[in-house]
Amino acid sequence: MLTIDNLHARVGQQSILKGLNLQIKPGEVHAIMGPNGAGKSTLSYLLSGRDGYEVEGGSVQFMDDDLLEMEVEDRARHGLFLAFQYPVEIPGVSNMEFMKESVNAIREQRGEEPLSAAEFLKKAKEACKQVQLPLDFLKRGVNEGFSGGEKKRNEIMQMILLEPKLCILDESDSGLDIDALQVVASGVNSQRNSERSFLVITHYQRLLDYIKPDFVHILANGKIVKSGDASLALKVEKEGYAFLGIEATEEASS
Amino acid sequence: MSAWLQQALERSQANQDWLTPSRNRALAALQSTPWPSRRTEGWKYTSLSALEQLSAEAPAEQPLSEIPAIEGLDCLELVFLNGQLQSDLSTLQLPAGVRIDSMASLPPEQQVLATTQFANIKPERHLFGLVNDVLAQDIVFIQLDDGCHLPQPIRIVHQSTEGQQSHQRVLVRLGHKAKASLIEQFLGNQSSVTTAFTELDLAEDAELDHYRLALQSGQALHFGGCHFCLHHRAQLNSTLIGYGSALSRTDIDIIHNGEHAHAKLNAIYLLAESEHFDLHSTIEHAKPNGTTEENVRGIVGDKANAVFNGRIHIHRDAQKTLAELNNRNLLLSRRGQINTKPELEIYADDVQCAHGATVAEIEEQALYYLRSRGISRSQALIMLNFGFIQELVNQMPNQQLAAWLQPQLRARFKEMEVQ
Amino acid sequence: MTEQIDQALSRKYEAGFVSDIESETFAAGLDEDVIRRISAMKNEPEWMLEWRLRAYHSWLKMEEPEWAHLHYPKIDYQAISYYSAPKSMKDKPKSLDEVDPELLRVYEKLGIPVHEQEVLAGVAVDMVFDSVSVATTFREKLKEAGVIFCPISEAIQNYPELVKKYLGSVVPRSDNYFAALNSAVFTDGSFVYIPKGVRCPMELSTYFRINEQNTGQFERTLIVADEGSYVSYLEGCTAPQRDENQLHAAVVELVAMDDAKIKYSTVQNWYPGDEDGKGGIYNFVTKRGICHTNAHISWTQVETGSAVTWKYPSCVLKGDNSVGEFYSVALTRGRQQADTGTKMIHLGKNTRSTIISKGISAGRSNNSYRGLVHMGPKADGARNFTECDSLLIGDRCGAHTFPYIESRNPTAKVEHEATTSKVSEDQLFLCKQRGLDAEKAVSMIVNGFCKEVFKELPMEFAVEAGKLLEISLEGSVG
Repeated sequence: MLTIDNLHARVGQQSILKGLNLQIKPGEVHAIMGPNGAGKSTLSYLLSGRDGYEVEGGSVQFMDDDLLEMEVEDRARHGLFLAFQYPVEIPGVSNMEFMKESVNAIREQRGEEPLSAAEFLKKAKEACKQVQLPLDFLKRGVNEGFSGGEKKRNEIMQMILLEPKLCILDESDSGLDIDALQVVASGVNSQRNSERSFLVITHYQRLLDYIKPDFVHILANGKIVKSGDASLALKVEKEGYAFLGIEATEEASS
Repeated sequence: MSAWLQQALERSQANQDWLTPSRNRALAALQSTPWPSRRTEGWKYTSLSALEQLSAEAPAEQPLSEIPAIEGLDCLELVFLNGQLQSDLSTLQLPAGVRIDSMASLPPEQQVLATTQFANIKPERHLFGLVNDVLAQDIVFIQLDDGCHLPQPIRIVHQSTEGQQSHQRVLVRLGHKAKASLIEQFLGNQSSVTTAFTELDLAEDAELDHYRLALQSGQALHFGGCHFCLHHRAQLNSTLIGYGSALSRTDIDIIHNGEHAHAKLNAIYLLAESEHFDLHSTIEHAKPNGTTEENVRGIVGDKANAVFNGRIHIHRDAQKTLAELNNRNLLLSRRGQINTKPELEIYADDVQCAHGATVAEIEEQALYYLRSRGISRSQALIMLNFGFIQELVNQMPNQQLAAWLQPQLRARFKEMEVQ
Repeated sequence: MTEQIDQALSRKYEAGFVSDIESETFAAGLDEDVIRRISAMKNEPEWMLEWRLRAYHSWLKMEEPEWAHLHYPKIDYQAISYYSAPKSMKDKPKSLDEVDPELLRVYEKLGIPVHEQEVLAGVAVDMVFDSVSVATTFREKLKEAGVIFCPISEAIQNYPELVKKYLGSVVPRSDNYFAALNSAVFTDGSFVYIPKGVRCPMELSTYFRINEQNTGQFERTLIVADEGSYVSYLEGCTAPQRDENQLHAAVVELVAMDDAKIKYSTVQNWYPGDEDGKGGIYNFVTKRGICHTNAHISWTQVETGSAVTWKYPSCVLKGDNSVGEFYSVALTRGRQQADTGTKMIHLGKNTRSTIISKGISAGRSNNSYRGLVHMGPKADGARNFTECDSLLIGDRCGAHTFPYIESRNPTAKVEHEATTSKVSEDQLFLCKQRGLDAEKAVSMIVNGFCKEVFKELPMEFAVEAGKLLEISLEGSVG
């Protein structure tokens, strides 16, 4: 699904990723943890194709394609989905209009017919229910005036609608209370299957109680410094990163 | 005085009626007002040369073309063709408490009332307002009695045809606690001159939804104005939609003449080709405790030129006023121009006033977000640009009207994008 | 509360003394002959006189601008004397030691460092008294670094090529009514040249003093920062307390060549007139700088004086990546009127400008911000951010904002914000509850309001500016 090989990247003059390796196979759930400034958000933005991140070396293979060569929208159309840590508000563009445009752009890529308005509405309503958002959210401007929790649920709703191959969840748990966290997690879990992979980026082990990872990686100073199974996350939770010889740095990576 | 004005005055018949004293005052003011040049502050970015280049010959009048109905909206319709009222007022089915009269046939007891309003809400500084004072022929006076709630909107459609010069005037008076909705629509893209001024008086606790659709485009020269006087606790919600044309200018004045009045003004302009659109708005807070919320957004494509001057004036007595003005612009082309000036003039200390203006491109963040969901860059730009306008369209209280307008705006917008 | 604040605002003007200096002053009136005489007094070359006369003839054809939000009686240009100089200056003192001590005492009284040994560390001062420069400190030391800092009348004699090349290059002779008048009759001012790559070793400053009655002051400042150089310059101004209005019409031109940076700070404290609006300086000033590639001009002004202020320090951002900044605090009290702001003309690619304007209105004064941000068709990627905040103290003053924004480039971005606030009862209550008296509280709040601008001033002057505001608000709230 995804192969990251010796990836080096910088933002402006600052090197953030310094030789990152990661391989994700279909159906796997990988979690990435790490202290502030480790490069977690950089990784998610870079994979989705945001401007401002310069790759200095290494490669990223996404299925059969060289991911780094692709435009943002092409990555999405080929099945890469990023659930944003800070979803953008777009007043004036309704959620419905946005998602319909998006779903049909992706269907076109797959060689499928566009959904009719009625078909789309049906799907959208189901997705809405699944993440427990009231239906009128479909008519509202994208994320406009949504609470933090509603924005995160809206991201998961989009994920459900777009049926991606690889889902990157960038701190989807941040700022959520326990009820909202469970809604988000169950939305994610409902989408797990043998074909779909997940990359869950998080600061806290808490989320991983609900979304059980197959692998846990610790990202520090631009590299994966340790990998293991779910128990690694628990160890970090208990002991902090110190046992890995890592000190949290102050620099923010986003 | 300009050659155009001289001709226009000569061509008009001497309007000898009971409005003559008011018209003469306007004429005197007009004669003592120097014709604006680019050095005149109110016309700094708008040249009147197009007016002078008009051919003097007027072709034969064309018949009224069909006025498209607004789907799902039952309106009381008044239609003007080149300034002349085409509708038969006597056949209008008016609910009790509503009067719609032509000034020419206004009963004498009503005339006094009409003279207190004619040219008395509209400030004298508007040059073309003065022209309209002198030249307006068919003047319509709409009155709602105290407490009257008009269920359906009044829709006034003005149509101009090739070579015509028309001067339209509407007076609206809402009584105490009266409630109404008024749609003013301007059509006609051929070479013509229109001056169209509306004076609206909202008595205590009156409520008005108002829409001004200044959709004259092409070669039409349009000079319009809406002037509102708000009394105690009156509520106004007004939306202006403007297309540009060879020259399109609208002046809006909202005067808070009673305490606790509330005004909301949303304006949208969408300009294509070499269109010129100029909006001057003035909000006068003369009394305390008023609130004003003004949002003005425009998109300028191709070689178009947008001018916005938004003034908020807080008088000495208008303590506890809350007034905000926000102007946002998107410039899509290298050949286009945006000139904007939000002004504050404040003489009271215990007020909250703010204005903001931006000229920018679409936020990269939002563009990235849409693209990350598989939407192409160009489609994302269209969505975001249009969303910027749609936000205000969505705020229109009359959703049928909004739904009717939306595809038209979208169509216009798509044309702009193509270029 | 309003009354308390009002009382609080009546304060004395500390620089209002008159010095008894024997002067040679032209009779009032302006014609070609006066200009010839000024030129002759300065022993100017023919080209300079020619330049002045051309400006004069343009001026005759121009009209006094009326667009500003200012109301003052028509100025009678024939009632003003266009030249006044202390008699002691006739012999042209060669060094500071030869300058009439009476003159230097005037500056000492104003707190200006005149003796090189006791000065604020690293500040060189040019002292302009009515129509002449009386002394310039540290000239030798600056010369070692290659920096020229001298009265402009001397520069015309000693560096004619530089003056010819740059004078009027940023503010043309007939740029506007007051600039044209200045070009015709300017008497003195400072000239600064910083050679390539030189970082000026000390702060430069000019102190303007109007002393003589019925004279106008028309100074001209020209600062040229050659490629890659840096200079920080400060000007201060005061005048005696008189019942008549006096005219001050200055022109300042800044040239920042590639990669150069000029930081220009003004603390303007001309006599503002009394509480009823009697007397005070009419201050009509044209200040403009041009930025070449990667150059940077920063204007900082603290305006507390003058009866009428008309002043828009501007930047022409001609070179790619150049930067313009304008930081302003304008305080008006009594019947003062200020119409001040800036113009940022973006011509080059990726040019950036920042405008921070803080207006404080009190008493019966009127304080207007007037600004222009222009994005030219070639200003790809240009950015402007403007913030204009007004603080009203009392309910008889006015605060106004007139920002012009013109954009001709779809990739340029302009952001303008303006707010209005007052010193709230809540703020005052909080301060009082913490044991501050109301006067101190107002001054603290005002200082806080201006903080963003003060931090741009050279350190020595930031303190002074803070004090100036404090004095301005002295005796205020009871």
